[in-house]
Amino acid sequence: MPSQPLRVAVVCSSNQNRSMEAHNILSKRGFDVRSFGTGSHVKLPGPSPDKPNVYDFKTTYEQMYNDLVRKDKELYTQNGILHMLDRNKRIKAKPERFQLCKDKFDLVITCEERVYDQVLEDLNSREQETLQPVHVINVDIQDNHEEATLGAFLICELCQCIQHTDDMENEIDELLQEFEDKSNRPFLHTVCFY
Amino acid sequence: MERPSKDGELPAVIDITTSEKVVELLNQAALIPTDEKLTVLKQVQELIINKDPSLLDNFLDEIIAFQTDRSMEVRKFVIGFIEEACKRDNELLLRLIANLNLLLKDDSVNVVKKAILSLTQLYKVALQWLVRSRSVSEMQEACWDLVSQMTGDVLNMLDSENDGVRTHAIKFTESLIVTLSPRTPESDVPKRQEGDISLDKVPRDHPYIRYDALCDEGKAALDKLLKFMVHPAISSINLTTALGSLATIARQRPMFMSEVVQAYETLHANLPPTLAKSQVSSVRKNLKLHLVSVLKHPCSLEFQVQIGTLLLDLGMPQSEISRNTPPPREQRKRPR
Repeated sequence: MPSQPLRVAVVCSSNQNRSMEAHNILSKRGFDVRSFGTGSHVKLPGPSPDKPNVYDFKTTYEQMYNDLVRKDKELYTQNGILHMLDRNKRIKAKPERFQLCKDKFDLVITCEERVYDQVLEDLNSREQETLQPVHVINVDIQDNHEEATLGAFLICELCQCIQHTDDMENEIDELLQEFEDKSNRPFLHTVCFY
Repeated sequence: MERPSKDGELPAVIDITTSEKVVELLNQAALIPTDEKLTVLKQVQELIINKDPSLLDNFLDEIIAFQTDRSMEVRKFVIGFIEEACKRDNELLLRLIANLNLLLKDDSVNVVKKAILSLTQLYKVALQWLVRSRSVSEMQEACWDLVSQMTGDVLNMLDSENDGVRTHAIKFTESLIVTLSPRTPESDVPKRQEGDISLDKVPRDHPYIRYDALCDEGKAALDKLLKFMVHPAISSINLTTALGSLATIARQRPMFMSEVVQAYETLHANLPPTLAKSQVSSVRKNLKLHLVSVLKHPCSLEFQVQIGTLLLDLGMPQSEISRNTPPPREQRKRPR
């Protein structure tokens, strides 16, 4: 096992549901984890599919919470959004955009292919400096509460296996193949360089 | 000779304090567990490289002694220290390159990988330092000979049994190819690398460094990378890394764009049979990404048809290909 803990980032679109569920579980298991969104805005469900609640990344979870309580407390209690925001604000103050973070990670896990593409585009557009590798893995997770919970456990199991390898880079290919077979979902995987 | 007190007194006091502090930290470092040792050693590094570099020479041996520490993290620290120290004072290459060579042969792959990363940086530092020297001492010659030997060792690591070591060797090869070829007006140079040495800055009459030999070495490294890429059992991560390296080389050295596009075409037609289905998807996605980045380069003009065909095959709509294609430039004057 590497003596240094893996630096992990979990990334979804709005840094609300899937990445925060995984952030929550991973940090409880002692990982050095951060979470991000890649979208241009933070979107939460609204009264109808064509009327989402849209915020910028500067808005805190607390402010979103208060805004939705004001708009329709019953609706947002019933659909679990207030509960989710309440959970999120206990983890950190506000959502973070992946493209604006200059910190370095060993492992970036994305929650859907579009997000994976955006992460790759961003990492490849940065100027290379140290050539330190960062592995990017996509695990497809549907954006609802149940799938986010299941997905977070899968991500956590994956991170635990990777953390416990003697030589992550030499074993990660094989490990991912095993995980694909076990979980019956395909993972996209690539490496980028800082 | 006595210095005027106004200039001398205050810095002298600071010197003693910093120096004493370093001694104290080094004494501590010898006795404490790894995590704390790393924190203490990083403090020492900060003090003698950034705060008061005049102390660097005094404490060099004490820090380097940690290269035999049992913890690989401490040995990795020593590599980082060697890199920073040599960047701060190029003359230290004479003393430290042999230590880096030892660490390049360490038992731990993580230490070897860190040594490759540092050699990637220090190769450029060493070349620049020698090119700047008007006369080259025997010590400098020996130092450059060792750097060249280490370069060969890392190129051979493309055949390492360890996937991660190979990945690092690919990145070293990429950087070597860029350094050992001339930067031209068409070169897409990242801001951070603007000051880096490249072949065009090596004088043809240098007393020790041979321009032609370096040029050949760079081309041989490119050949080696291209051959590496067509190995039928290449791992998906190595392939991905090599695809990215080729895109970097094509953008920074458009003179090699033809070889790069050819390699992409060959790969697209013959994906390694050892790749699993999801790995094929990952590789194809990467190929698309890197083809677009090459296409966006103004020198892609004569390869646009080839690249366009590949992108169509990879599922990119024509409209998106057109959007990423640079407009034709004014006809350049070509020598007749």
